[in-house]
Parts: sequence; structure tokens; C-alpha cells
Amino acid sequence: MAQNANLALDVSNVIMQYPLTKALAGVSIEVAPGEVFGLLGPNGAGKTSLISIIVTLEKATSGQVKVFGHDVARESQLAKLQTGWVPQEIINHGFFTVNEILGFHGGYYGVRDSKKRVDELLNILGLWEHRFKKVKQLSGGMKRRLMIAKALVHKPRLLLLDEPTAGVDVDLRKRLWEFVEQLRRDGISILLTTHYLEEAERLCDRVAIIHNGQIRAVGETRKLIEQWSRKKVVLRLLEPVEGYKNHPDYMSGQGSEWTFFTKMSKPLGELMQELQVPMGNLKDLQVQDGNLEDVFVQLTSATKGAH
Amino acid sequence: MDLTWTPFFTLFRREIMRFMKVIIQTVITPFVSSTLYLMIFGVSLGKSIVLKDQLPYLSFLIPGLVMMSCLNNSFQNTSSSIVSSKFSGDLEDFKVAPLTPWQIILALSMAAVLRGLLVGGITFFVGEASYFFTYGTALGVSHPFALLLFLILGSLCFANFGVVVAFWARSFDQLSAVSGFVLLPLIYLGGVFFSVENLPPLWRSVSLYNPLLYMINGVRYGILGVADVEPQRAALVTLLAFLLTTGLAVRCLKRASFQRW
Repeated sequence: MAQNANLALDVSNVIMQYPLTKALAGVSIEVAPGEVFGLLGPNGAGKTSLISIIVTLEKATSGQVKVFGHDVARESQLAKLQTGWVPQEIINHGFFTVNEILGFHGGYYGVRDSKKRVDELLNILGLWEHRFKKVKQLSGGMKRRLMIAKALVHKPRLLLLDEPTAGVDVDLRKRLWEFVEQLRRDGISILLTTHYLEEAERLCDRVAIIHNGQIRAVGETRKLIEQWSRKKVVLRLLEPVEGYKNHPDYMSGQGSEWTFFTKMSKPLGELMQELQVPMGNLKDLQVQDGNLEDVFVQLTSATKGAH
Repeated sequence: MDLTWTPFFTLFRREIMRFMKVIIQTVITPFVSSTLYLMIFGVSLGKSIVLKDQLPYLSFLIPGLVMMSCLNNSFQNTSSSIVSSKFSGDLEDFKVAPLTPWQIILALSMAAVLRGLLVGGITFFVGEASYFFTYGTALGVSHPFALLLFLILGSLCFANFGVVVAFWARSFDQLSAVSGFVLLPLIYLGGVFFSVENLPPLWRSVSLYNPLLYMINGVRYGILGVADVEPQRAALVTLLAFLLTTGLAVRCLKRASFQRW
């Protein structure tokens, strides 16, 4: 048994070098059991390359990936048994019905009689009425749910969701979020890649921001927001004042309306004291907290990285 | 949870279901082609062709057509299954699931052999019926064990070759090119319709390098008891071809990409 067997996923210094480009330049992440971990990054950042290595579709140039202590390169069968994968693109399956597809998938993982499990998933994911349909007869949302059912049929302990809500409507997206939360309650560890930062903020215990094949930041979602984003403070005054432009948090404005960007951890009173705003001159005060989108923009825009 | 037999039988069953779901394309069409060959070449033109050993041409043609059906369908089954899976994306499932390369090859090849034997068997029974109605007697099988050996080993060769070509192919065009420019000439020049004894010396020598000649003549020996090639030599060449194509197929599965087009 390898070290760190208590980690659901242990990605250690993974490099993926293609002939013309380096997709991953020494990526390391750890996902704890029962954790929902978000991997965020712009297109081409290396998210899908990393997932392809975890599911053994591609072989890393160097580095190591372990799933519950099993090296995906050396103990691939044991690692695969623990892993469920929902790919970014829908798989068509041509000739076969939903029922057959799920039955086959269970069989590939050694589940001799998967009927009970398949029926359970068909019901949970609202596909029971469509079990005799072929993939091409399903709507986009149903296809996405079928991909999730496929990934879960062998009861994996680690689920890889590669942009599961891409291209689905708001209603289905919310239902999928609820389903992910249910999986979390069931103790399944989840690695989620998504473009929807609201989704990551709501679902993920921790997130990693990946850009140009490198992890730019990793940590608890709330702490990352506090560390890397700023809150926006808009000050509206009854009488115009001057002199705020030299304040280090000054962003824009003049006269009777000023905008400041300040650290999330900085108390509002401290800013007010620094600005020495007479309370009688205060017309309105608006505060907008930073969010994951700010973190994302901060860490992925060009070479800027400081806060 | 059983990771030895369950994944293998699941994939084997899936492959059988796949070709049975398109039975018109996979079984009925080849059956119609074989019947037409028998009617035109065997029954109609064959009456004017005289072979050595006083054998009717139809009896010479039937083993060739049976083997041609087996080989063609075995190749088509594995290659079209893999290529269409590459296209739809479900080939990735084979790689992501804990299936071993050997399980994949055995399951795909054995299902392909089953389809080959199904079409080959139908061709044989149509041939037998044609022979009976033409000559008033059944053709029979001289060496059933040898017949089965050549049919199964030959079909396995072509099923494995189908795996190799499908993993190599980057488009449907490339697959068709191999089928049309490599396999078809080898099959037709391997003695399905004529005896190599009738070829000019140069072409007879060239034909001896065609492994299909040995496979087809092995089946001819199994049915008729006579062939252009010694049965032991035919068995050796067929066995070597089987080992070579199996090795290539395993290498392909270990190295090739399973990612979708």
C-alpha cells in the first residue's frame, strides 16, 4: 500500500509535455476524502489534461497521480475501480439504450448483476422513463444525467466531474448542484472543473486556480476570496470633498462619489477613519464583497498576481 | 466484484448485440452477396469450367466463399466497432474502465469470429443447397476438425488485423483504403475463385507469399479433402499469421490512443 492512502486524490508534480506545448508544468493537488474540490481555469489551462491523466487516457511525462493510495500508472485497475468520470463531451453510444449502456458500464467494472444499482440511478437521476431510449433520443440534460449515472454505476469513491453543467439550462444546473451536494453527504470525494464560478463558490470546500499549466493558488474557497479579492466600497457624499485620490485603496471617482477597493479583511470602520468622513456629510455607503470571480480574474489575467 | 470474467463477457456480449442490432448490414447483406457469387460464378459460369480431379467448379468455389465471408466479416466487425466507437467517444470507456488489453482483444475478436462463422455458415448452407440442386448430392465435409481450425484461426487473424487497422486509422477513408486496396486484393488473389495451379509461374510464385492462400486452401482441404497447398503447411502459416496479428493487436492496445476523433 502506498503512502497517503488516506487521500482521495494525490497529484504530485505532474508534467505533461506535448511536442509543441507544455500542458501541465508541475501540478500538485490533494483532495481529501469526502471533499468537493474545484479546479478552475480558463480554456486551455490544463484542467482536462489533468483529468485525462487521472483516468489514464493520457500518460504524464513525469510526476505521480494516486487515487486512494493507488498509483494510476502502476496499479491502474485498483485506481480505476475507485474512480468515476463524467467527461466534458457527451458520449453517443450509437446502437444502445440507456439501460444497456449502464449495464455494460457496470460489467466493465466487474459488477456482475448491476440491475438494482442501475434502476436506483435511473430513478435518482430522473431517467427511468427513458431507459429504453437511445442516446440520440435524449435531450441535452438527459444526456448529461446519463453520463453521471454511468460514472456512478460501480459506486466509485472519487468522482471526476469535467464541466458537468456546461451547456445545461438553469433549472437542470440547480438540480445537478443538489445532486452533487447529495453525493458529498454520501461521502464521495469530488474533483469538479467548471467555468461557472458561482457553482464552484457554492459547492467546493477548496479550489485550485490553474493557469498555463500551473497552479496559481489553492485553498479553502472562502479564504481564497478573502486573500485574493477585494471588497468594493462606494461612498456618496452630500457635499463634494477632495484629497481622497492619494488614498492607497482609491479606485475611481471625485467630488461627491468615490469608489475604493480594499482588502476583504480590512474593517470598514478603519477605512472610514482613514478617510475622515464626517458622518453628517455621508449620503450613502455601498459595500460589495469580493467573490471567486475576482480571485479568478486576479490570478489568471496576464502575469499579475499580487494583491 | 470479478475483474477477470465479468468485464470480458460484458464486452463480448456488447459486441454480439452490436452486430445483431444491425443484422441487415452485418449478416443479411453478406449472405446476399455470397448467394449471388454462388449463383453467377458457381452455378451459371461454373458449368463450363473443368478442374483437375474431376471436381465441379461449384465445389471448388464453396470453400473459398465460406472463408471469404468469415475473413471479411471478422475484419469488418472489429474495425467498424472500434472506428465507430472512436467517432462516438465510447472507446474511451474501454480505457477508463479496468479492462485489460487482453480482455478487450479477446472479447472483440471472439465476437468477430462469431459473426464470421455465422455468415460463413450461412454461405456454406446456401452453397450446399446450390450443389444439391445442381448435382443431386450433398458436398459434405471431409475433415471437420481441420475445417473448424482454419475457419477460427483465419477469422481470429482478420479480427486482430481489424483491431490494428482501426487503431491506426485516423478517418473512415483510411479504413476503407485498407479494406479496398489491401484486403480485397489479397482475398481475391488468394484462390477464392481460381486454383493457383492455373496461374503463370511468376504469379504462382507471388501468390505463395499471400497468407490468405493458405487459409483458403486450409478450408478447401477441410471441406473437399484436397487443396492446392499441403494442409500442414497451411496450418503452420495460419498459426504464424494468428500469432503475428495477435502480437500487433496487443501492442496497439497498449500504445494507441483511445481518445475520440
